[in-house]
Order: sequence, then C-alpha cells, then structure tokens
Amino acid sequence: MYYDAMVSKEEVRALAQLARLRVSDSEIEGLQKDISNILEYVGQVGSIVPNKGETQVLRAQNVMREDILYGPATGLINKGKELLTAFPKREGDYAVVRKIIHKDE
Amino acid sequence: MNNDILATLSITDATRKLATKEISSLDLVRACRANIERRNATLNAYLEVFDDVEAQAIAADTRRAMGEKQKLLGIPLAVKDNILIEGRRASSASKILEDYIAPYDATAIKKLKDAGAVFLGRTNMDEFAMGGSTENSAYGPTKNPHDESRVPGGSSGGSAAALASGMALGALGSDTGGSVREPASFCGVVGLKPTYGAISRSGLMAMGSSLDQIGPLTRTVADAKLLFEAMRGQDPLDSTSLDPSFYKEGLQRKKIGVPRHLLARGVDADVLKLFEETLKRLQEKGYALVDIELPSAGLALAIYYILMPAEASTNLARFDGVRYGLSRRGESLFDDYACTRGEGFGPEVRRRIMLGTYVLSAGYYDAYYGKATQARRTLSRECAAALKEVDVIMTPTTPSPAFLIGEKSDPLSMYLTDIFTVTANLTGNPALAVPMGEVKRTKINLPASIQLTAAHGGEATLFSIGREIEAV
Repeated sequence: MYYDAMVSKEEVRALAQLARLRVSDSEIEGLQKDISNILEYVGQVGSIVPNKGETQVLRAQNVMREDILYGPATGLINKGKELLTAFPKREGDYAVVRKIIHKDE
Repeated sequence: MNNDILATLSITDATRKLATKEISSLDLVRACRANIERRNATLNAYLEVFDDVEAQAIAADTRRAMGEKQKLLGIPLAVKDNILIEGRRASSASKILEDYIAPYDATAIKKLKDAGAVFLGRTNMDEFAMGGSTENSAYGPTKNPHDESRVPGGSSGGSAAALASGMALGALGSDTGGSVREPASFCGVVGLKPTYGAISRSGLMAMGSSLDQIGPLTRTVADAKLLFEAMRGQDPLDSTSLDPSFYKEGLQRKKIGVPRHLLARGVDADVLKLFEETLKRLQEKGYALVDIELPSAGLALAIYYILMPAEASTNLARFDGVRYGLSRRGESLFDDYACTRGEGFGPEVRRRIMLGTYVLSAGYYDAYYGKATQARRTLSRECAAALKEVDVIMTPTTPSPAFLIGEKSDPLSMYLTDIFTVTANLTGNPALAVPMGEVKRTKINLPASIQLTAAHGGEATLFSIGREIEAV
C-alpha cells in the first residue's frame, strides 16, 4: 500500500506545530521538498510482504528490576546542586516556568 | 622519541612503552597537543581541548610510578561531544546545549577512567549525531586530514579526524546508523559498532535508542579490542546492556559471506576493486567466499530513515527549555517551546524531528512506522540465518571515498552514504570497519574501508578476521 508522499505547505506547518518547532516562512518550501522526497524514498517499506506470524509488534521485552536505590552505581546521587545549576531560569531550588493556570474572571 | 612518532603510536605500542618507562603519559599528551596547535584551527576536530590535560597526564605518570598498572593508564583519548564526562561541557555540537555541563560520567567514561585513560577534549560532530559528514555541527564543519576540501565523514567526524591527524591515540564515537564506521572509513582508521547492548548507553545523549551504541575509533584492530573490552559490560543504568556471558568464542568456519546483489550498482569502481582484491587475499589465506542473499537488505535504508527519526523526535522532546539548555520566551507557553526549539536546533535536526513526527502521526503510523518495524524483523531474521552459515558478512563500509564539503546538499543523497552501515544497527549485530587501501582522487590518496558484520556477541570473530585484513 503506497501513499501519495507529497506533503503540502499546510501539512509542513502542521508538522512544525506538532513538533513544537518555530519554522520561518522562507524555510517551508525547502522542507516541503525535502520531506516529500524522503517520504517517497522510505515509502518503499510498504512493499514488504509480511512473513507468516511476523506481526508489527516489536519483540522487545520489558526489563524489570527491584524498586530500590542503585547506590553508588548511579552517578546522579548527591548531584542536586549540579542539576539545579542547569535550570535556565531558577528561583532558589525551583525551576521557573510560565504560569499556565489562570483564574476565570 | 620525537612528537610525530609519539602522537601516531598505536595504543598497544604506547602501553608497552609506558610500561617499560621508555615514554611517559606527559610525552604522549604533549605530542598530541603539538598536533592540535598545528592543525586544529584548520581541521576543527576538537570543539574544546581540556585545560587540565597535562595535569591528568602527570597524575597518570605518578600513579604508574606508584606501581599502578591499569590497561589504559596514561593513554590520551578524544571523546565525542555527546558522551558525558562529569564537570565538562557536553553540547552534542548544538546551540541548544551550548553551556550544558555534564553532572555525571557516562558509564563508558567511568570505565575508561577506572582503566586510567586521560581525556584530551571533546570532538566535533553532526548536531545530535544527525549526519554523515560533520557539516551539520552548529560550530562549523570538520575537515578531512587527508584532504581538507573533503568531509571526514560523520557523525563522529571530529573523533576520526583527531585520530587520523595525530591529535589523540584513540577516540570515542557513537554509532546509530554508521556514525563510527563511516568516518573511520573516510579518515583511514578502524571503527567498531559493538553488538547492541555491549556498551552501556547511560550518559550517551540519546538519538535512536534502539539503534545507538558507543564505539571506539583506533589505529589498529588490536586497539579497538582494547578499548571495547575496557568499556563493555552490563550496567544497571541501561536495561538493554548485556551480560558478559553473551560473548561467543572466536572464529570457527573460515567462511565469508558476500551479498553480491547489494554491490551491483551505486558502488564506486575503485572501491569495488579494492574490495575484490581484499577478498581475494583472504581467499589465499584459506577463507572460503560464499554468495549470500539478504533479500530485505535493499530496504534497510528506508527502514532506518523511518525508525531513527521516529525515535529521535521522541528523544529530543525533552528539550523544552525548562530543565537545561537554551530557553527562549515567546508570547505563550506554546511559543516558549517553539521559539526555544526552533532557535536551538539546526536545520537537519528540525527536519528529522518533523519527519519522525510525521511517521508517528495517527494517519500514517501503520504505513510507515508499523511497516518499518515489521521489515526490521524480517531483515534481522535474514541476517541471523546468513550468519549461521558464515562467520562474517563483508561489504565495503561506504560506497565511495570521502566526498567534498558541500557536495551533498540534498539530504536524501547524504542519507545514501549509510547504505551499508545501517543494517547492523537495525539488527543489533556488531560491525567493524577496517582500512583496505587507498583510492586516488585529484592526485590525493583517500582511504577506503571494508566492513565485517558478525553474529550477536561475535566481536572476537571481527577482531580475528580484522587482524588478517590489516596484515594483508
């Protein structure tokens, strides 16, 4: 099953929106061409005929472990200060983020 | 011993000379620094050379004088900018992480520190390891030491160029679709993509989590083995890491599989000629050549360029300007994210994030991601079946020698460089790139490379046949 891989300018804008990326108008046309070409190429996978019993589900297995501290194995123990230092905006030990819940007037 | 000789020693030879006190770690570090001062401004292999490298070397020499004998004690290595070293900058060659300081060591780094290694600096790369030429770095391209008008390959291009120009004795890269092997091929050094799970991914910045592996770049196959053995091992911080009992014994059958159907077109004639000559010499050494068929291998690149962007777009969602990295404020919360990511990520990263978003979106998931997952399983089964009959599968590492800077401006033509390397990442098999001679381009000799792929855990086989190729 093949899809028409040509994406429209509106689709490129929608993708940028979904991906949380600001893309300038001057880039849209180039992205439209590049993404369309790449999708046309990778669309070849549609030609694969599944083997009997070969489902689309990944064979990867979940790995379980005890819910305990790793102790010295994890490099992040006692690294609170370093992690806080990495915050772009910080007040005390808190990361500053935009207020997103507003009271209805 | 003069600097040129010191800086181009193999790790194996340097270790021997260090043990007999013929040379010191400080000698090695100074020799590498002399080359860095001479050529790094032009080659742009290192993004940063650590200011304490001589102190690290002196500390290693002191430890040796006290009787310590770790395998890599005092060996100066270069590290790709996406592998964390505690207290050092790690930017993945991106503006979004320009000022990021690693809060902990990657497990591979911790193991190398335990083995006594000295870290010279962090090397240039394609931003977030996305590319095959190191042209996508936010800090300018790296140049090929053999011909400065050409790319060193990528994404671990800085590591390969540093090694090939005598700025380090060995280097670390990461390989998601060929990012250790392709630059190794273009710069004329050895590169290993280990079995998936062999080396812990903890502390390696994630691109495609089901594909990523850290790998060594070295001057000899013996050196690759040395670094690989120092870094491998099961790690509680990476649930996909493998128990050492997984590794298989060395080579048994002296059979080499060649998928000739993949070489019929698209391979440079000179590269193909060297490949055939190398096979012939192995035949003379008693190896049997077997024609093998990997019917789905023609789809490998298409599968890869669906799964990798899907995983990368998911992994890079963490860059939201809240916990680390660049943070821009816009008109709204949405704008905060979009401005931060739009400004912080370069063009190739944005392209792949959008591509990943597309193939994972509700209407297209089955046609792209679903099909690719299925095709990946088929390909894995075909490779496993072939490797029951032969010790290794051989192809050229790349279809051509290093290309010119700016030559592949269309992203799809750049992706095609990965045609022989992506399969091992999709199937999890270990693969080794070994130099197989040189081809002449505009009067300059450029390295070419042969790739060996073994069964899971078959690194010993790769090293043993790799050494035979070095010897011929």
